[in-house]
Amino acid sequence: MLKFMVFIDNILFILLSIPLLGSLLLLFIPSWDKNLLKYVGLVTTSLTFILSLFLWVFFDKSIGTFQFTGKLFWVPYLNLNFTVGIDGISMFFIILTTLLIFICLLSSWNSVNHNLKEYLIAFLVMEFFLIGVFSILDLLLFYVFFESVLIPMYLIIGVWGSRERKIRAGYFFFLYTLLGSVLMLLGIIYIYSKTGTTDYEILLTTLFSLKEQKLLWLAFFMSFATKVPMMPAHIWLPEAHVEAPTAGSVILAGVLLKLGTYGLIRFSLPLFPEASFFFTPLVYTIAVIGIIYTSFTAIRQTDFKRIIAYTSVAHMNLVIVGMFSFNCIGVEGALLQSLSHGFVASSLFLIIGIVYERHHTRMVKYYGGLAHVMPIYTIYFLFFTMANIGLPGTGSFIGEFLILTGSYYLNTTVTFFSATGMVLGGCYSLWLFNRISYGNLKTQYLTHFVDLNYREFIILFPLFLGTLIMGVYPSIFLEPMHMSVNLLLENMNI
Amino acid sequence: MNNSLMILKNIGLISEMFFGMSLIYLILFGSVLSTHKKYPIIQKTILNLSILVLFLYILLNLNNNLSVTGNLLFNFTIIDDYLSFFSKILITSFCLICLLVIKKYIKDQKVNQFEYLIIIMISILGFFLLCSSNDLITAYLAIELQSLAFYIMAAFKKDSFFSVEAGLKYFILGSFSSALLLFGFSLIYGLTGTLNLTDLKDLFFFLYPGIDFTTDTSFNTELLQIALFFILTSLLFKLSVAPLHIWSPDVYENSPTSSTIFFAVISKLSILVFISRIFQFSFHGLIYNWRYFVLLVAVLSVIVGSFTAISQKKLKSLLTYSSISHIGYILISFSAGTFEGIQNLLAYLFIYMLAGLCVWSIFLVLRLKKFYLKKQNKDLTDMSLLIKMNSALAICFTIVLFSIAGFPPLVGFFTKMNIFLTSMESSMYFAAIAAILASVVSTFYYIRVIKILYFEEVIVGNLYYPLSYIEPFIVTSTFFCFMFFFIDPTYLYIISYKIGLLFYFF
Repeated sequence: MLKFMVFIDNILFILLSIPLLGSLLLLFIPSWDKNLLKYVGLVTTSLTFILSLFLWVFFDKSIGTFQFTGKLFWVPYLNLNFTVGIDGISMFFIILTTLLIFICLLSSWNSVNHNLKEYLIAFLVMEFFLIGVFSILDLLLFYVFFESVLIPMYLIIGVWGSRERKIRAGYFFFLYTLLGSVLMLLGIIYIYSKTGTTDYEILLTTLFSLKEQKLLWLAFFMSFATKVPMMPAHIWLPEAHVEAPTAGSVILAGVLLKLGTYGLIRFSLPLFPEASFFFTPLVYTIAVIGIIYTSFTAIRQTDFKRIIAYTSVAHMNLVIVGMFSFNCIGVEGALLQSLSHGFVASSLFLIIGIVYERHHTRMVKYYGGLAHVMPIYTIYFLFFTMANIGLPGTGSFIGEFLILTGSYYLNTTVTFFSATGMVLGGCYSLWLFNRISYGNLKTQYLTHFVDLNYREFIILFPLFLGTLIMGVYPSIFLEPMHMSVNLLLENMNI
Repeated sequence: MNNSLMILKNIGLISEMFFGMSLIYLILFGSVLSTHKKYPIIQKTILNLSILVLFLYILLNLNNNLSVTGNLLFNFTIIDDYLSFFSKILITSFCLICLLVIKKYIKDQKVNQFEYLIIIMISILGFFLLCSSNDLITAYLAIELQSLAFYIMAAFKKDSFFSVEAGLKYFILGSFSSALLLFGFSLIYGLTGTLNLTDLKDLFFFLYPGIDFTTDTSFNTELLQIALFFILTSLLFKLSVAPLHIWSPDVYENSPTSSTIFFAVISKLSILVFISRIFQFSFHGLIYNWRYFVLLVAVLSVIVGSFTAISQKKLKSLLTYSSISHIGYILISFSAGTFEGIQNLLAYLFIYMLAGLCVWSIFLVLRLKKFYLKKQNKDLTDMSLLIKMNSALAICFTIVLFSIAGFPPLVGFFTKMNIFLTSMESSMYFAAIAAILASVVSTFYYIRVIKILYFEEVIVGNLYYPLSYIEPFIVTSTFFCFMFFFIDPTYLYIISYKIGLLFYFF
């Protein structure tokens, strides 16, 4: 019993080390033995996923501070230590990460043939970095992990992406994010030079002057805004999503976009509360323009993946609207919408990946009438399209509703404009679904149709279940967040 | 027993004397053997003996009786402290690895004179003397010794037009800068009457703002400032910072790569040690006279190095321009004038040299399969088939490039972050913002190389010879020594802290 409690206390370190050990194990397996590689990768990621569920089971819902904390001394000279801990906000992101990487590896079972070993190692290393981002409580190490995610993602887009514009997409992705993030590095260095520490729990107690807060908030915002992605810096997203392989798009949409919002809620809001309040009009403007502009742009696209990429932008901007509403309802709605978007957008990318694997084209015009020949696929597609729109019964509706309620307290005009985003969401989603599923089969282009096989059914099913449960009984997801979000908002002194 | 050892240590510079004498023996050995009736090519022998001499030099140097202030020897012109010890050990170990790596290159390029290695050893002797000099004339002599050896090393491929051009350019511009240096030194002698760095420190430290208001500062510092500018210009010229950098891409690219590895990796250390001795130690009181000049030059160097490298098509020029921008970063932290400035200078320099060693050794070890084996200057596109020919080397190259770009979680990121930390603490905000934006630009051309390595599936490209026996050892040992630094970077900080204490011993 005691050993089990020791195991639970250190579960975050175990979670961090399993992907690394898995990738180390993969290095020893010869690259011609593809089956063994795939099974070892699968076992590693499923083990990580099951262990992350332990986080949920043993989570104490009645306290808002950090749980499962641990500290490794690393560089005492710089006062830089490897402090980990989660609270209600980060727990679900970790579970989302592990689940999505597991599904990613399953979804690329047959589609990745060359350099499979490096592909799996890249994913496992990225899993390590992602779990690190969500669980680390040290500002500089958060930055290190935040940036380190770029390296495996750049390799995944560049090596295994589709043929046409992958190099350009890789450059866009890397350089846009890097340019935003270096300003955050300067902000972190400034904080370190003024306070002498980058430990998050200590920084929560420091007060910065208003002028300092404004400049630091802007520096941090540059980085997070590029990751979210917000309006003028969103151009990398459609490129990167379209050119990445299916699993790459899934993890990009599912988890990497959440890094920006997680950073905002974890660092920008608590550390610089007055500046956040000061800059809320700016954020709202950019977010609302983002929602409406990208929704309109999505209507005009002809590439299946690009439409879903633009919907990701719109949804994440809605999350930002909710997050800056400074009340419990809005922030919890933002977090729930992030989670649900993680499920829905990933599943939509998986859906496109299924058809892409069969027919190797992403153009909408080649598809039509798939409901006649692929009925189970169409059921999934319909459900996730409805989730994308925000139909009641799916998690997106709860998220959007809570966000709009929360932001109504602050500013009714913004709520009105964001709500029109929901309507536009319906517009392009239904157009897309209609074009692909209904109508006549386009046999002049495609002749051979196969419905979902067992593996594809399995990878979509947990996401389906998650979205449904989130829509029908969201308290399961909202309850662990209550105390942490309340603590965060109370400490903001507004 | 104890007594005789103390006498030996008080004489000083035992290891350099050993080095010089073994050099003379090597010259004798070489010239006697090479005039043998069978005309043997003794390149390999002399190289192995040089490696042995360097190794023994390290062993001799390790038995030192050092303290923070150091021992002043030879009428106070030579100083023997942690800084000189550290730099000598560093130079020796890196030169050892360089010599191991250039063995096959020299054979391919048909550089059949053994004098090449002797000249390399003479330049290394110049480095040693420069690192431990406490007097302006000693420093000038050491700089001249090293530079003259470098000029010959740059021009050594006598049948290549480019190499001769490189040597001539280097010679003319280098001696011009040495003349400026001498002029600065003479101005200082004229003003103060002393050439000793410790005496200059004693003279000028009270000029530091705020130390002593009561002393009558009857020193006229304008002429002194001019002298400082001359010295600074000359030394920055030798370091190839912008806007005095125009000679370095030509020289580095055209000279044989076995010489370039010494220029790019090792020459910077000794000159930077000397710069920090003069400016941080002796002329620290006049800091507000030289600080902003160095900062301006440093930021310009970062920007020039980052932007110009984008249009380079040859790998050698790319590495040259990246070294220009790295020296810019180092000088940004140096211009802060604080203790952390020197500490970060040393730490960054060490990591820069290690990464440079790794990259240049990969460059030297890759031999393109061509009819004309001498033509080894690689284009960027020559890297495209590397992943099929030697994938481990490609992975090493990638990771070292990410660290040179300053990308987390590798150690290059931590040293770069420390530089920005120093500049933020000294309130040099605009310099930090400009430098960090330039570093984003420089990341582009590093990931372009990675793109060429990994992302393109080419069918036709240049092939490489497989590596010989010892080369993988060298490349992988430097790579591992370098890659796993980020697990415990504390060693960097502690060593550079101990050395930096010299500059704060007033």
